Amino acid sequence: MGKAGAGTMTMTYERFEYLTDAYGGDLRRWPEAEREAARRLRDLDPRAAVLLREADGLDALLDAAPRPAPSHVLREAVIASAAGAGLKARRRGPGPLAWLSGAGWAAAACAGVVFGVNLTSHLTADVQADAVLYQASLTSADDTEVLGG
Amino acid sequence: MAKTADPDEELVRRVGQGDPAAIQAMVARKLPRMLMLAQRMLGDATEAEDVAQEAMLRAWRQAPRWAPGQAKFDTWLHRVGLNLCYDRLRRRREIATDTPPDRPDDGPAPDSGLLAQETGARVEAALAKLPERQREAIVLCHYQELGNIEAAGLMNVSVEALESLLSRGRRALRTALADMAPHAVSRANG
Repeated sequence: MGKAGAGTMTMTYERFEYLTDAYGGDLRRWPEAEREAARRLRDLDPRAAVLLREADGLDALLDAAPRPAPSHVLREAVIASAAGAGLKARRRGPGPLAWLSGAGWAAAACAGVVFGVNLTSHLTADVQADAVLYQASLTSADDTEVLGG
Repeated sequence: MAKTADPDEELVRRVGQGDPAAIQAMVARKLPRMLMLAQRMLGDATEAEDVAQEAMLRAWRQAPRWAPGQAKFDTWLHRVGLNLCYDRLRRRREIATDTPPDRPDDGPAPDSGLLAQETGARVEAALAKLPERQREAIVLCHYQELGNIEAAGLMNVSVEALESLLSRGRRALRTALADMAPHAVSRANG
């Protein structure tokens, strides 16, 4: 069985077949070091393209399995457990959160009160996006309602 | 060895500081992931919720002392989730019972006009019937979309052994679902 080695950009059909059997039809799931060689073979050898299409059929079936989504109750319980685990907001001076103790902070976080205060402070875009996603899931608000403006 | 970039590093640091918005963001980012891991491994919604909740609790405890650069946080969290699943699976084996967990029944082969719901149930049932290690390999690589090196590391096997598990698992699934028409399944469901 041939391999695409370091510095080479070729892959044998046998190697392609082996990897298709393991990883399926989406090259993004393939070993990173072998994707480029796989793409070349797919483009050059019609048999390789057929293998990928066949594997893609099973991938589509696997993707048909239901995707469990966390319930509102589960999300709230997980948020509340953060306070129980000892995570407490530490602030340098008195501020909007000064009045919140552990349980109160957790409840406020669930209700979105604290969220509304903190979102625009110092979080990266990725973290803000995840926080918006969470908040929208609680209140069915859209991004503009949560971020403001 | 070059340090692996960890997309969760900043979020974990903020969580460790008790930042409520970061905690919400972590829940949005990781809870669905842990729930899907547990559901696929255990095939039981209640147990999956328990595992996901426990995994997140351990994430909260770990966040204040997380040291970046050793491993990716997502990989660590998957190890926690998998260990919790292993515990549950081991307990199932130890408890001798005549009543297996609820599974979709194996009725006669459906025709090509399946509803997506029935398709999904069949796929779930086929996945649940796989040997544990084959199921784990497919869950990690296909559903959790972990890289092969990460998945092999989590399973404590070589990449070649992982690939063997994946191939055998996919072959078994293809056989179990051979009567279904994959092209009848709309990819838009996902």
